Amino acid sequence: MSTLTTPGPDAETRAVRRTSRPMPLVYAGLDLKRQLRDKMGMFFIVALPAFLFFVFGMGDDEAYGSANVAMYVMVSMAAYGAVTATTTVVGAAATEQTMGWGRQVALTPLAPLGFVAIKTAVAMLVAVVPVTIIYVIGAATGSSGNAVDWLASAAIVWAGSALFAVYGLAMCLVFKGENSSSIAAGLIVIMSFLGNVFTPMDGFMLEFGRFTPLYGYAGLARYPITEGYVAMGAGHDSVWLLLANVCAWTVIFAALAVWGLRRRQERV
Amino acid sequence: MTTPALRAIGLTKHFRTPGGETVTAVDGVDLTIHSGEIVAFLGPNGAGKTTTVDMLLGLTTPTSGTIEVYGTTPHRAVVEGRVSAVMQTGGLLPDFTVRETIRAIAALHGRPERVDVAIERAGLGPIAGRQVQACSGGEQQRLKFALALVPDPDLVILDEPTTGMDVGARHEFWDTMRADAADGRTIVFATHYLAEADAFADRTVLMARGRIVADGPTPEVRAAYGGQTITFRPPAGRMGPHGVDPAWLDEVRRAVAPLGITDLEVASASLEAAFLALTGGPTQAHTTSPAESRTEAQEALR
Repeated sequence: MSTLTTPGPDAETRAVRRTSRPMPLVYAGLDLKRQLRDKMGMFFIVALPAFLFFVFGMGDDEAYGSANVAMYVMVSMAAYGAVTATTTVVGAAATEQTMGWGRQVALTPLAPLGFVAIKTAVAMLVAVVPVTIIYVIGAATGSSGNAVDWLASAAIVWAGSALFAVYGLAMCLVFKGENSSSIAAGLIVIMSFLGNVFTPMDGFMLEFGRFTPLYGYAGLARYPITEGYVAMGAGHDSVWLLLANVCAWTVIFAALAVWGLRRRQERV
Repeated sequence: MTTPALRAIGLTKHFRTPGGETVTAVDGVDLTIHSGEIVAFLGPNGAGKTTTVDMLLGLTTPTSGTIEVYGTTPHRAVVEGRVSAVMQTGGLLPDFTVRETIRAIAALHGRPERVDVAIERAGLGPIAGRQVQACSGGEQQRLKFALALVPDPDLVILDEPTTGMDVGARHEFWDTMRADAADGRTIVFATHYLAEADAFADRTVLMARGRIVADGPTPEVRAAYGGQTITFRPPAGRMGPHGVDPAWLDEVRRAVAPLGITDLEVASASLEAAFLALTGGPTQAHTTSPAESRTEAQEALR
């Protein structure tokens, strides 16, 4: 048998790998760059909410709470953009799995939960883009409010979109396959209507909508402006009700994700 | 006694089909591979090669049996970067460039300094800036090979590494592998191309229906199961533009006595014969039929 065991130049460097550690930030940076290059994805994350902002009340200077109508619509649309971002970016992980990229990653020292953490971080970074762009457009077109309105709403919109990273994860674990990301993003549109994000609702739809996932989140984001008063004089939501909505859905989505993960592991 | 690169004992894997039936993909495989060996894992599609590879990499848990890679678990060996693989089922992200793909995986290994080495070794320099979706099947296969080189592993497992490559690309690929083997890397590759096992492996493990049916030095596997063939050259005057004169051939058939044969060569049969004898079973409906594997083999040998 002609085996060649002469140590080559690589043999010396092999000692290096015993001490090497994964560099998740470098991976996240590359993945972020890839997401931002995706024109189709960025259209739904940035251009569509910006267009809806334009349609629903850009520059409308009628007073609204501590701000104006334009500001109220701006916050809603930034929230829509941010949750679309986190949902689709985390949901895309499912597509990556079906394409076999997950198996490439599985042959590295990165733990499976580490990959989920990287994806969530990238999703949160992508969510910064629609919030920033829509706030800049708002500032340039007459959205007005006090400093607290601007800063607090932006912070809540951004941080709260993390809930929809959990949602995207749950959806891609429960519905396996490439379509799960599209299903998740499609449901976001429906939940945005029900969550009082697009057009103000009243009556039964509003009563029902209060229990849907985007209602609490969007209500909290607009709380600095509205102090809980619902548009069109349709009543008042206490901050506790809005928080309860967000907490309940966090638990539900997390439980769905865990259930989906267990079910998936059993199949293997 | 040094620790073998890989040792599997009684490796078995059952799968349950959606219909509730139990299928045995791998059935009691015993295998030991020592450092520096180049081993071909040869068998038709459905022989259990990929399932075995998955278990060796810790991606699938065996139903029963044990595996040690460098004296530890397959998962541990993967985490330590001692073993890596080109997987048939592994995928790439279409909107990364070639270089970004390698940088991403190198980051997860914590080995950014390996990016340029891997690009150079896999011959990807000229297309490093190209998006993966614009790469040919062969180029993507070489990219997967580059990813396998990133952790600088002691053992590389390649599952059908030349899928999607044309003859020239296959040639180039194996030249690269030869250079790597000279570096002392242990190489295990699964293939259904007989020519690749024949040309490249010191040792051939023949697999069929989930079992190992032959295991030994490649020439011995060929000799033991393939019989022998005698080749001879006819006198120059008997060669026409359409080959050997048929009348003369008839004469040869009638008498094996010396008829002016100037050159006589006794050659072993191709590995193909052994392959067909061992893996082709008309009784096994789920395996490749001999006719099919013959076509496949002929294509492989072309």
